[in-house]
Amino acid sequence: MSEDLRHDDCQNFIPIDVAKGICNYTQEIVLIDHQVCSKFAQLAKCKICSYFKKADDKLIGLCTGINDGYWTYGDLKAVTCESFSRKKVPTRSAKKVRSMSPTE
Amino acid sequence: MVKTLAEILAGKGQDINFQYGGKAPAEVVDREIKKEPFPRVKKLKEMYMNCLSSATTEFPYWYTRKYQELDGEIPVVRRAAALKEAFAHSTPVIWPGELLVGSKAFYYRGSFPMPWLSEGYFMAKEDELYQSALAKGSASADELSEFGTGGGNVTKSFGKVTSIAGKFGMRAEEVPALVKLAKAWVGKSVDDLGHKYEQMVPEYDTKEKVMRSLICMFDSGYTLPQGREVVNYYFPLQYGFDGLLKLAKERKAEVAGNADGDGVSGMDRLYFYEAVILTLEGIQLWIRNYAKEARRLAQLINDPERLEELGKIAEIMDWISANQPRTFREALQLTYLIHIAVLNEDAISGLSPGRLGQVLYPWFEQDIEAGRITESEVLELLECHRMKFTCIDCFASTGVVGGVLSGNTFNNLALGGLTRDGKSAANRLEFLIIEAGMTNETTQPTLSMLYDEKLPEEFLLKAIECNKTGTGYPAWMNNQNAIAFLLRQYGPEGMTIEEARSVAIGGCLETSPCAWHALTLNGKKYWITGGAGQPTSVGVHFIANPKVLELVLTNGYDHRIREQVLPPHNKELESYEELLETFKEYYLLVVDCLAKTNNIQHDVWRKNNMSVFNSLLKPDCLTKGQHIGNLGYRYNATFNIETCGTINQVNSLVALKKLVYEDQKYSLVEMKEAILNNFGFKSALEIGSFSLATQERKSDGEQFAEIHSDCLKAPKYGNDDFFADSILKEYEEWLCVICKDFESLYAKPMYPCQISVSTHGPQGAATLASADGRLTGTTYADGSMSAYPGTDKNGPYALFNSATVWDHTQSQNSQMNLKLHPNSVKGLEGSKKLLELTRAYLRQGGYHIQYNIVDSKMLKNAQETPGLHRDLMVRVAGFTQYWVEIGKPIQDEVIARTEYEGI
Repeated sequence: MSEDLRHDDCQNFIPIDVAKGICNYTQEIVLIDHQVCSKFAQLAKCKICSYFKKADDKLIGLCTGINDGYWTYGDLKAVTCESFSRKKVPTRSAKKVRSMSPTE
Repeated sequence: MVKTLAEILAGKGQDINFQYGGKAPAEVVDREIKKEPFPRVKKLKEMYMNCLSSATTEFPYWYTRKYQELDGEIPVVRRAAALKEAFAHSTPVIWPGELLVGSKAFYYRGSFPMPWLSEGYFMAKEDELYQSALAKGSASADELSEFGTGGGNVTKSFGKVTSIAGKFGMRAEEVPALVKLAKAWVGKSVDDLGHKYEQMVPEYDTKEKVMRSLICMFDSGYTLPQGREVVNYYFPLQYGFDGLLKLAKERKAEVAGNADGDGVSGMDRLYFYEAVILTLEGIQLWIRNYAKEARRLAQLINDPERLEELGKIAEIMDWISANQPRTFREALQLTYLIHIAVLNEDAISGLSPGRLGQVLYPWFEQDIEAGRITESEVLELLECHRMKFTCIDCFASTGVVGGVLSGNTFNNLALGGLTRDGKSAANRLEFLIIEAGMTNETTQPTLSMLYDEKLPEEFLLKAIECNKTGTGYPAWMNNQNAIAFLLRQYGPEGMTIEEARSVAIGGCLETSPCAWHALTLNGKKYWITGGAGQPTSVGVHFIANPKVLELVLTNGYDHRIREQVLPPHNKELESYEELLETFKEYYLLVVDCLAKTNNIQHDVWRKNNMSVFNSLLKPDCLTKGQHIGNLGYRYNATFNIETCGTINQVNSLVALKKLVYEDQKYSLVEMKEAILNNFGFKSALEIGSFSLATQERKSDGEQFAEIHSDCLKAPKYGNDDFFADSILKEYEEWLCVICKDFESLYAKPMYPCQISVSTHGPQGAATLASADGRLTGTTYADGSMSAYPGTDKNGPYALFNSATVWDHTQSQNSQMNLKLHPNSVKGLEGSKKLLELTRAYLRQGGYHIQYNIVDSKMLKNAQETPGLHRDLMVRVAGFTQYWVEIGKPIQDEVIARTEYEGI
């Protein structure tokens, strides 16, 4: 699993399109692939769910949280998933989070 | 030095004059009327203008997961359960400043593929599925279709964004999931299953050649299987979703185990009601997720004004997820959500809101009377509504979205028309809808005026004022023609004159059957309209008429793809009558193979991919307990045969009749040789320009100069010339009859649909030069009644006389576009003249007319500097689109249209 955090991994990010969105803190446009700031708050996605198993190099893995299980992909948003359960990996992610202004 | 055709002809004193009625001033003249939206809408519009068309796999992931889990379930229930799962898991997003919320996907201009319809075309080129798609005839449309490279189109991959189908961007992280989803549908999609069974039609081989040749633009059953129809908002507006759930549960209990005299489909009712319940539950969850999102956002902000707005949004979404709306804003929000839900159920273009101003009038009237809302607040909401509709993208292949739709989605809002008892139906809310179309100029919803003599002058002049903004809307439809057509086509299914008055336009200009419903709000009864028929513009999609004529001349051989497409007729074509008869024989052969194969595609669709949500909205599915595929709709004779290039075909027949058969100046062999040699010119593709005047002659092309000159000088449609017009009349009277001989899968007679949308670009690209002097690869004339650019030399009234030599009520529509210089309609006097011009055509029996009020020089400038013209809109053929998102062939064609300097 990639440890790079993107803006579209953040709860404060309002997506506009595949390249950019709006930071809910600053109301400024931010690019998805630019590094996140200290206000980063991880959005629920399969890749941080404890039911996400056996991910391959393309982040295709197994969802074991619903019924008999089914394949899923790491970047699938899980904000509406009734089975989402956040993995406990805060320290490792935090290392990648640089302290910078919310607009970056 | 290389000369263009225009320069060559000017040297001979044979000008192709693209202006009529005077000369345009040297400087660029802007449009006369310009207005501004509310500040919040202005911000949303700015966001849209900088937004890319973006696709995600979220909806198809949840749909596919549930669908596979329910292997073996009854198809309609399986599909409904999959829809419920997908709706319930769609991520809600609310963008800053929005008052109306909800979207197809979590991007502002978001959409998603539906691999259960067709899975191959959006794959990466190296993928074996895509290679398989290329081997099929339907790939020709993709090869010859072009998107504009500006605006929101993602025509090329960049960074971590992958371009799909030439228009949509997808995050690279999602592409492996897309491939996996697509593979899950191999052999199971409507495309694949339809392909399997259509090969059993004896004429299948011809059909595939017809597709490769691009005589037909695209398949029907798996591309855009629904649409070009009017949605029906009535049931949720009257009963609320909870009321509909209650009704479905009661009916389910009543019908369970009972055939009730119908041994074929009586038992199906149980499964349909179960599917209705599942789908409604999914949609309720989807709406409630927006309420939750509004509350979540409210916790994160400090702005008290926005805090209050988010609270209001949450309250509205919670309420309308279950109940009849109480206010105008709630009703508007609900109709928008219904619209999006239908669009997420299937790949659809041309889902029209219909006469929305009349549908919402009860809430508008009562809110205004009670002082709950002001007209200014209504206007702001209507501007927001325009933004939401403009964000609607339709995910389909390049050939369909680029070559046919030019990226447009044709959500057509109809104005005017008549009430149930035959009075003017125009109301105050419709004035505001027109005003919103002026203050917030966007492509969607496009507007159509159902012109009737009973409509008030003030209302009509308001619409003309809107035309003068240059947005291209409203288009003008002949209400009485539409009623006459509906009675003819749907009379056998029980349509009355009273019901026919409920008509609205589906898609760009497809006359669609509707019905009246009695809506009760706070004890007061109103009659509102809504769609009551199946999709139209399904069946046979866009026959390239000039291409059929080309194959008559080449004995069925297509020189572009170097293939014998139609069986050789081996006739000498010694008389004009023999030529025309052979054209008709070929035409019937083409329609026959397309109608049969597309019937099979649609049959697969109705068995596995039937509509549940759209079905429950329309009469009389909920009453009958049958979905669309089981003839649950009130009107089912909606399948049609679409044509393209009528005027080039007619002009070519005119030239052949005149030059070969009557004057005998040239033999047919000489004419064919000139055509095969493109009259000595380079191909349009080679020079990268697609209008006639800009074509360049080869250095050794002089030998065909005389015959080309004579072809161009031959009589042309659009000049009130009997010789030319009689050929149009004969063709139309034949076409309108033969279409009835073809039967849809619902065992109903078909009818002609005569619009071009954007297909005159790619189909022109696939067609050799024609006897009317048109050159290889250049576009056809747009629409079906528009003159070929530069050939209408006697003014608009002569054009109208030519266009109305046949009875337009025999056809679902006809299409006439006029381009006017802004100076020609300046001021109030200009407005009155434009209204009189419109009236003149419609009173003569024309079905439809629409205007581009723009200085052609502005379009040329925009072609050179697209970055400076992001918001410039033009009317193409039945729709308005951002100039920068239109492909170059259609841009060239719009520039080339005759510009009227005076009317």
